[in-house]
Amino acid sequence: MDSRITDDLKGWIGREVTYTAPEEIGRAAFRYFALATGDDNPIYHDDAFAKATRHGGVVAPPTLVCETNQFMNQAVDEDGYVGHKWDLPLPHTRFIRGGNDYEFHQPMRPDDRVSVTWRILDIYERKTQKFGTLIFVVSEARYVNQRGEVLATNRETNIYAP
Amino acid sequence: MTSPVSKQFEDVAVGEALPALETAISLVSLVAYAGATWDFHRYHYDGAVAASLGFPGPFMDGQMVGALLARQLMAWGGADAFVRKLSFRLREMVFADETIVITGKVKDKLVDGGRPLALCTLSVAKADGTVVVRDATAAVELASRRQG
Repeated sequence: MDSRITDDLKGWIGREVTYTAPEEIGRAAFRYFALATGDDNPIYHDDAFAKATRHGGVVAPPTLVCETNQFMNQAVDEDGYVGHKWDLPLPHTRFIRGGNDYEFHQPMRPDDRVSVTWRILDIYERKTQKFGTLIFVVSEARYVNQRGEVLATNRETNIYAP
Repeated sequence: MTSPVSKQFEDVAVGEALPALETAISLVSLVAYAGATWDFHRYHYDGAVAASLGFPGPFMDGQMVGALLARQLMAWGGADAFVRKLSFRLREMVFADETIVITGKVKDKLVDGGRPLALCTLSVAKADGTVVVRDATAAVELASRRQG
């Protein structure tokens, strides 16, 4: 049976790319994200309130750190996209997000300047009755601050469908 | 609404339900999330582009599901809480003008390496019952009277 996992595609396993934010994240980003997700938790914006918690100050909403685009310094492409993507040799497929495994080590804080390293862990295919042959790409991102402290890891499974 | 008093580990009952979170996902929600995460891809707000790719309409970034799951966990755990782990698989996409409901409960509680953790499972469904996420798992570190 034909496999769509070519040697060329296999060669992508283990590839890595790092992006470093040009500046600190800043607390306005926390408030913006909280607003966009309808979240009124004062821990993300109220200094006086946050100081009295065990976090000792405002922190980012948990998953904000796992949004890579904000750390990149890249032009907007013709689709409007500005973020990280692998240019995998998979023409005529559509990209579907499969899910995420987040692990958080410490919260992102306003003065954090974040670097993220993405790495492809695995590429495999599954033949399905309903959708044909699907290609699964498993990547992992590791987010660190300016002191090299790990804030979070994010393992992502994405699907390329015919 | 986030409680001003954080949940204490000792007060958590295994089996306890997390307050359900219902969210209407409008085109405005999609645009706001896209803006907040520097994701200007047309398929999040342009119906014609989404249709040309075979989708019924502009759709939600899968990571927004993660953001809403985290919002619910933090609203339950209070401001002292810290989400340690969150895993979910997307079974369906969410499109503009759909409403989703997140439900969850505490599956277990334990102290791991000195950390008081509530292990939760969460599910996400559309108003018509379509399951978007089944049994997402989360570990939430909570405030504790004993652990300090």
